Amino acid sequence: MKLYEGMFLLDNQAVRENWSRAKAGVTDILAKYGAKVLTARHWDERKLAYPIKGRTRGTYLLCFFECGSDGVNQMRRDLEIDERVLRYLLVNATAVPAGELEKCQAEGAADFAAPTPPADERVSAERLVFGEFADRPVVDRSRASAPANDEAEGEESEVEAPVAGEGV
Amino acid sequence: MADLNRRSSPPPALGSRNCDDPKIEYKEIAYLAKFLTPQANIYSRKRTGFCAQCQRELKQAIKRARHMGLMPFVA
Repeated sequence: MKLYEGMFLLDNQAVRENWSRAKAGVTDILAKYGAKVLTARHWDERKLAYPIKGRTRGTYLLCFFECGSDGVNQMRRDLEIDERVLRYLLVNATAVPAGELEKCQAEGAADFAAPTPPADERVSAERLVFGEFADRPVVDRSRASAPANDEAEGEESEVEAPVAGEGV
Repeated sequence: MADLNRRSSPPPALGSRNCDDPKIEYKEIAYLAKFLTPQANIYSRKRTGFCAQCQRELKQAIKRARHMGLMPFVA
């Protein structure tokens, strides 16, 4: 039995429905393969550095548990299959950090309520593929060089006028 | 000719690690972010001033943070 640290990125949709159920979903998978869960707590809810499975925000669950090495390999498979778990990270730990047990117990108290995650930002299909490049305005050079069109469309001419100026 | 080939002096090293610095761990995002270029590349050992072991731990921690979506691969 070794001590492991597990960080799980949970889908905010599941967290919004019920945090304790979302947490139990993960701890049940751990317990299923003989892990002894020492602590499990809400670590953070934050914006992701890049979209994962179409989500731009997620909630992190931090666990410390003891498990045999066979169990870890088997639970990895279950975690991959579970749709509520977007990402997970299992690493060896030397000891449960100081203060971790207290934070976990504070969460177990009756008056604890996990903060409701804010709404996810919408991610267009273009943005998923191209990232920030998708936000760049598309400059139509053929139209910018034709001055006749600029006067006809008031709002667009303001944007395109400097481009035409640079070209000349 | 030698002057043309001479590179501008490299940026100074950030300094070695002190005992009271935060632990190099994937959860210490604010600390790890100091060791990234604006494009989110990891600084070299020359730039961080870390010893071999610390630099290896830094690399591992940043890569773990990237996997979890805590830090960007490319910014």
